[in-house]
Amino acid sequence: MIAYLTTLIILVAVSALVGLALNVQWGVAGLVNFGVVGFVALGAYTTALLAPPLGWFPAMITAAALCALISTVLAFLSIRLEENYLAIVTIGFGEVVRILLLNESWLTGGAVGIADIPRPFVNLVPPRQYDLMLAAFALVLVAIVFVLLETLVRSPFGRALRAVRDDATVAAALGKPVLLLRVKAFATGGAVMGTAGALHAFYLTYIDPSQFTSIITAYAFMAVIAGGRGSNFGLLFGAGTIMVLLEATRFLKDAFAVIDGTQLAALRLGLIGLGIVLLLILRPQGLLPEPQRKANDFFPDHEGTS
Amino acid sequence: MSMPPVTPALSVQGLRAGYGNGGDIVCGIDIDQAPETVLAVIGPNGSGKSTFVKTLAGLLRPRAGSIAVTGRDVTALSPARRVMAGLAYVPQEANVFGNLTIRENLKLATEFLRGRPGVGPAQRELVMALFPEIAARPKLLAGNLSGGQRQMLAFACALLANPEVLLLDEPSAGLSPKFVGETMEAVVRVRESGVTVLLVEQNVAAALRIADEVMVLVAGRKSLRAPAKDISNADLADLFFAKAG
Amino acid sequence: MIAQLVLNGFVTGLLLALPALALTLTFGILKFPNFAIGAMLTFGAYAAWVANSLLGMPLAVAAVASAVVMALVAMLCDVLVYSRLRDRGSITLLVSSLGISLVLENICRFAFGNATRNFAFEVARPIRWHGLRINQEQLITAIVVIACVILIQLLLHASPLGRAMRAVADNPALAAVRGVERQTIARITWCIAGCLTALSGVLAGLDRAVDPLLGWNYQIPIFAAAILGGLGSPTGAIVGAIVIGLAEELSSLVLPTNYRQIVSFAVILLLLLVRNRGLFGGKAVRK
Repeated sequence: MIAYLTTLIILVAVSALVGLALNVQWGVAGLVNFGVVGFVALGAYTTALLAPPLGWFPAMITAAALCALISTVLAFLSIRLEENYLAIVTIGFGEVVRILLLNESWLTGGAVGIADIPRPFVNLVPPRQYDLMLAAFALVLVAIVFVLLETLVRSPFGRALRAVRDDATVAAALGKPVLLLRVKAFATGGAVMGTAGALHAFYLTYIDPSQFTSIITAYAFMAVIAGGRGSNFGLLFGAGTIMVLLEATRFLKDAFAVIDGTQLAALRLGLIGLGIVLLLILRPQGLLPEPQRKANDFFPDHEGTS
Repeated sequence: MSMPPVTPALSVQGLRAGYGNGGDIVCGIDIDQAPETVLAVIGPNGSGKSTFVKTLAGLLRPRAGSIAVTGRDVTALSPARRVMAGLAYVPQEANVFGNLTIRENLKLATEFLRGRPGVGPAQRELVMALFPEIAARPKLLAGNLSGGQRQMLAFACALLANPEVLLLDEPSAGLSPKFVGETMEAVVRVRESGVTVLLVEQNVAAALRIADEVMVLVAGRKSLRAPAKDISNADLADLFFAKAG
Repeated sequence: MIAQLVLNGFVTGLLLALPALALTLTFGILKFPNFAIGAMLTFGAYAAWVANSLLGMPLAVAAVASAVVMALVAMLCDVLVYSRLRDRGSITLLVSSLGISLVLENICRFAFGNATRNFAFEVARPIRWHGLRINQEQLITAIVVIACVILIQLLLHASPLGRAMRAVADNPALAAVRGVERQTIARITWCIAGCLTALSGVLAGLDRAVDPLLGWNYQIPIFAAAILGGLGSPTGAIVGAIVIGLAEELSSLVLPTNYRQIVSFAVILLLLLVRNRGLFGGKAVRK
């Protein structure tokens, strides 16, 4: 039971990190990233490759940094033109990562993957209690990221991002350097996705391409929508709710013996797709009531709206 | 001596409109326009003239009030159906399809008007007579026309629908003085062909020269309505620069 | 042999042309890129497979049946989802199309699993012509696609409906005041997009066999083709598709075939670096 709970906690933590990252990119800055899974995979593989020589912490940092770098490049190329392009560019990126992971076996181990990934704080705790410790580590990581991102969201940077999200023309007219703001936001999200990948690698100690499928991207979007775009707190709620619901479908498989593994996977993905659509139509503000944002949130010096 | 009451070509009662969650920009306008007249709607920037005419055209849903064309209520109709009810509209910018040829623009002007009386070859001849320059090069892309020519094409397309009432949103905008003159003459020809024209105009002098009546809008309300010949520059200055209310 | 690659590339490009055309048409009129295009292709392929292999219809009939089904499905998506989100901006529409793509693809996966399926179709022997090998599937693809392209171009340029579609793409508000209801045109456009995508699904299924990832594998090349030709330009989509097809085939001279997706991706990145309007200057409209 405890083992199941720790597993659940860590899985939720990874998903929460990915969701928080997408929340910065899409919820706050309005940038669509359909290649989420590519960044997570990149983070995981970077960690896996660098942890043995460098240690888990430098590896994790490098993973985050590399993801931030690539995010910057992709964002810079696409956003200056039109937001729609970012979506297709990120899908392309995700596919390219997938292809490289499968085929560049000399680096990634191909379909077999990479094993024996070093874990954080391994020597601190007896092996039997390590999973508990890792779960605690995961929670602390999420807490730290949450606090950092929440501060970001409430800062002038975050306010400016939301203003840009809501109307890029107006924001540009106000003189905020629109492109730079958005690229920074995108890179921040990328870094957190890389960190999520690192956590994933630490937990499983063995990664291969089959672990990184489109459900990660889909799930992240649904979490952000369910949580109410832009609200980190809502996102945790959304992520938690969805994870619980999805875990429930695991028991469906036992209850309805007719459903096989493939069908279960299809059902989950299909339900997520349906959930995304329904939430967007029926409850775009998220499952939690959204705090009403007033003009003063965006323009603290301005009296009322014009 | 009693004359039978003439149904106004355009009748607006208590019209209110605004964008999104914002306040009213059109704050309750009543106006009746007699048939075959030119009514110029003028006013300072931000007085809501453009919003007013867009609401009349059906591009903005009114929050209150009604609009009637020759006695028929059109308030609930979509823009397409308003055209079929006799209300045509020439927007200020983007008033022709730049990616379509002149001929295609003209065809489109009537292809989707089912059941509008008077639409057909006779009307087309009438309109082409009013704007001869357009018929000259039908295969030219409308986007490649000069500002003045585009204006003519836009007028022609609106007129092909045989409207009772033609709404014009700042037809002189962006035109050189020579073309402003030609455009205003075109408006007069349109009126003489039997169409009622409501003209929103920033260029007050040009509008006054051809208008029968003038309505001044200030802050979304009608602050004056009078025959054009009765208006002097002094009156206008007072109205434009006086505070609302 | 280069000539063979060019031929293969040309035919691959023709296959891409139909969904690229569908994508660019819906983008022009609805102002958002439909991310469900690959999933629609998959769905169309499965619909035809059901008609053909399970219900015993000849492939040509099954293809028509699939086109009808897909037209209805596409229209249903508009009625239920896209039209309700029309005022919320292209980003929301984008994400909703992701949701729809998940639903469509996984209906297929749930019903038929991950196994590859094949059409019940007698494949004739390839033709040899001047040293080139031409498959029957390639001939069919070429004929069907060229016929569709001609029909679409005729529709767009020589019919009132086509004029109306181009007018709505150019200026929806003006089209409205000229009597063209945007909603109606949108629905018709989805129907056409559905038909085109379904047909391309059948052609792709002939070429590669049908599985739930069939359309997904074409997603990036389809987008690359449409963007290359300029989003919103039908002629551009066709030319762009042929260029992408050729690029992918010719890339096998230097890259392993697994890496073809990277070619399309590289084309997209290159376009973004150099020119954002594509070959035909289709509108890269900033919202």
